[in-house]
Amino acid sequence: MRNVILSARDVEIKFRLREKVLTAVRGATLDLYEGETLAIVGESGCGKSVFTKSFIGMLDKNGWVSGGSLLYRGEELTRFKTEREWLRIRGKKIAMVFQDPMTSLNPVRTVGEQIAEVIVWHFGTEHEQAKREAVEILRRVGIGDAEYRYQQYPHEFSGGMRQRVVIATAIACRPEILICDEPTTALDVTVQAQILALIKQLQKELKMTVVYITHDLGVVANVADWVSVMYAGQIVEYGTSRDIFHDPRHPYTKALLQSLPQLGVKGCDLYSIKGTPPTLYKQITGDAFAPRNPDAMEIDFEAEPPMFQVSDTHCAKTWLLHPFAREHAEKLNFAEEARKKEAVAAQAPPFDYCKADKLLSVRNLTVKFRLSHREFKAVDNVSFDVYRGETLSLVGESGSGKTTIGRAVMKIYQKAEGEIEYAGKRIDGKLSKQERRELHLHLQMIFQDPMASLNERAKVDYIVSEGLYNYRLFANEEERMRRVEQIMAEVGLNRDFISRFPHEFSGGQRQRIGIARSLVMNPDFVIADEPISALDVSIRAQVINLLNKLKKERNLTYLFIAHDLSVVKFISDRIAVINKGRIVEMATCDELFLHPLHPYTKALLSAVPHPDPDRERAKELLVYDASIHNYKIDKPVWCEITDRHFVFGNRYELDMYREELGI
Amino acid sequence: MKSETVKNMDVLLRPEKFRAAVFDRTASEEGGFSNYSYWRSTIRTFFRSKFVVFIVALIGMLILMAFLYPALSKTDPGAISTNPMTWNKRPNADHWFGTDSIGRDIWARAWYGTRNSFLLAFFIACSDVGVGTVVGALWGYNKKMDPVMIEIYNVMTNIPSTVYLVLLAYIMNTSFLTLFIAMASRGWIVEARFFRNRILSIRDSEYNVASKCLGTPMRRIVSRNIIPHIVSLIIMETALVIPYSISSEVFLSFIGIGMPVDAVTLGNIVNQGRSSFALHPYQMLLPTAILCVITIAFYVIGNKFADASDPRNHV
Repeated sequence: MRNVILSARDVEIKFRLREKVLTAVRGATLDLYEGETLAIVGESGCGKSVFTKSFIGMLDKNGWVSGGSLLYRGEELTRFKTEREWLRIRGKKIAMVFQDPMTSLNPVRTVGEQIAEVIVWHFGTEHEQAKREAVEILRRVGIGDAEYRYQQYPHEFSGGMRQRVVIATAIACRPEILICDEPTTALDVTVQAQILALIKQLQKELKMTVVYITHDLGVVANVADWVSVMYAGQIVEYGTSRDIFHDPRHPYTKALLQSLPQLGVKGCDLYSIKGTPPTLYKQITGDAFAPRNPDAMEIDFEAEPPMFQVSDTHCAKTWLLHPFAREHAEKLNFAEEARKKEAVAAQAPPFDYCKADKLLSVRNLTVKFRLSHREFKAVDNVSFDVYRGETLSLVGESGSGKTTIGRAVMKIYQKAEGEIEYAGKRIDGKLSKQERRELHLHLQMIFQDPMASLNERAKVDYIVSEGLYNYRLFANEEERMRRVEQIMAEVGLNRDFISRFPHEFSGGQRQRIGIARSLVMNPDFVIADEPISALDVSIRAQVINLLNKLKKERNLTYLFIAHDLSVVKFISDRIAVINKGRIVEMATCDELFLHPLHPYTKALLSAVPHPDPDRERAKELLVYDASIHNYKIDKPVWCEITDRHFVFGNRYELDMYREELGI
Repeated sequence: MKSETVKNMDVLLRPEKFRAAVFDRTASEEGGFSNYSYWRSTIRTFFRSKFVVFIVALIGMLILMAFLYPALSKTDPGAISTNPMTWNKRPNADHWFGTDSIGRDIWARAWYGTRNSFLLAFFIACSDVGVGTVVGALWGYNKKMDPVMIEIYNVMTNIPSTVYLVLLAYIMNTSFLTLFIAMASRGWIVEARFFRNRILSIRDSEYNVASKCLGTPMRRIVSRNIIPHIVSLIIMETALVIPYSISSEVFLSFIGIGMPVDAVTLGNIVNQGRSSFALHPYQMLLPTAILCVITIAFYVIGNKFADASDPRNHV
């Protein structure tokens, strides 16, 4: 029996921002059922966070619910005015887990106190009793040695453990509804999988209703019973997770699914959603997604579609379901089939390593950092080659030293031990100013965070031509403008954007400006440091395609740094897996996915989310534990176990790996 | 109303509307655009509060008066009268705020004093913040300067400023320049440290690393990447140093080692007013009022500007 626990009807939320009014949620309707899991999916800026924050009255102070109703167990939440009314619900009945665990914990109080405080606050429990309960809850969220850790401060916990603590504070009052706002976005893939498993288990034990807010469809397939897709402040499609993943109807849902790199075919363009979500300052007429939908119909620009029922559990808000649109829809399906076939046929041949020559060669690279008088090795004795024209990916979790390797090659850190050779010339050690200049003409870098890597106070024009100015790569002003406009066109940005400032752009557009800035120099070798990890799934496809296109056109070589194996599979020729400053395995892309050897690689592969609910639910999670290696007597070596498949292990392990491969 | 929309729907819902539309690439990119501008938002946030508008208007008027009055009025602020009848006059039509113990017009003296004190404070603020920014930038960029600079900072800030100022005032003759040197030789170090901390946090930000990778020379990194980010801080610090300098001057005059007695500054006027406070309290009224307004107003402006220049408050 399904009981509705919270029902939102035509909720409209407005914000006053810089003297203008913005409608963040434009009539969203939703039902939450007891004990079930709903995922709200959409790009950033489509109002999903704001919508759920209104359930607990936590809108920022410049925002308000301007219409519709929110019924929780017969109580109208939109009528709540005072904090006191909200406190009866917030935390106690409906609790929330936020994206960044560090910002939701108080750094100067022990985690135990913070949990106990919630219990005392809401139930008026006695302190000793609350403490016992807090320890119990910590144990429940999978924190070992809970009594001891009760007295620790948030900074003594790792990212994943911190998120467990946040979940513990959220469930401390046994809420009926738990809202998780991007609970795993800030975490590594392996940790992410563990946290999702934890939330699932807690849900079962405490019989909670869970709402996930995420842009990552892989996560959704894993956890959700129901999925609602949100775009421009409206719910455009709603259904069970099978409905959504196997039979998406709204063009936006389809586009979101198709742009996942897991479903792409290597060598072809990934499907990408063009452009950016609409600004919600303006009145939107028709289907909000129409301007970005290449297959839109004329009606989409003129009238807003109603919700069409597809089946008992599935409905979508698109004119494609109208009887008049049958012909158009059939045409689309047909084109889609053709495209799929074509894609399979056009699969690119693997990179030919026999003829390739080495462009970059790194031998025994070690980078040490000093942290409050303690020295630690961020990168430990790493060796690899990059061949001209290939894409080598460095994959590892945060803190594994992958970015440090990229920066050491880029000569951002002067103190790196080991040999680095670029195009036959040694570049390790101290370089003269002239040599550095020379090197940076050929070697460029794309940065991770498009928000932090662009100078906010300079116009795009200056940012893009910064390198040109430094090397005087133009004869006159006209030529500079020509080159800037050319690269802007290549990265798919309008020409008149050059007179704007970076903050006027969305994340994806900013990242493309960053790419334009590096590539206007015409480099041979590009180090891409997690260029897409800060971007939305839909925008990722744009950037991946762009990088692939530029690589083909300009014969570039990439060192691609990432933490996400699904992306890497799509883009790279070879993959190096890095753990705790060491490369543990390196092989061609297909080989690594077919025959992973090192247990860490296996764990990483098992954690990759797949946009298929059946597969996700059946999947078995492998957890990597470094203590399985016994390197005390038998020292590990870096060994080429088969042709171009390197693995790090001692003699015993290597024998085991060989057995696995059958040689 | 309802039937009208239904009719509209009928008009729209024709089979020929369900054909493929032309895809416009530029329109799809428009969504990301926002017309936010840092300086415009800063100024708007700054002037949003009515209080700030009032304070700025008040300060504007004060400064205008301080510079216009000496230019337009013929009253000599130093004109001593030998006629005892004109000494210590209460406020009247001729002398709006009365005269002091040797018959000088307090109204005129107050404006001359404001102008002089303000000029002194302004020069001190410019030199403190100017030197502070330059030294702070060098310090922030040069790790090797750290031990030396921190020692200098400790020594300079640990000597009580009164002792230092008194000593300097004894060594040199009291004059505008002495006072300037005494205060400016000390103030820069605090500013330098402030800017050093700020620059240190900007220095390693990703856009600077990116600029380095593009081979941008240091001087362009400083002029294009760093200075534009600290302009608002420079303005804020200048606004905060001005009231501090004015009150320092008043204090020094108060303990008798400030400007020469015949110089017209706020400090001297307040000091002279104080000596005859018991008998003629009105003499102190105007100069202290101006002093209070200036110091409080600049503090408010500096702090409010600091808030307004923080992008987090640009809502």
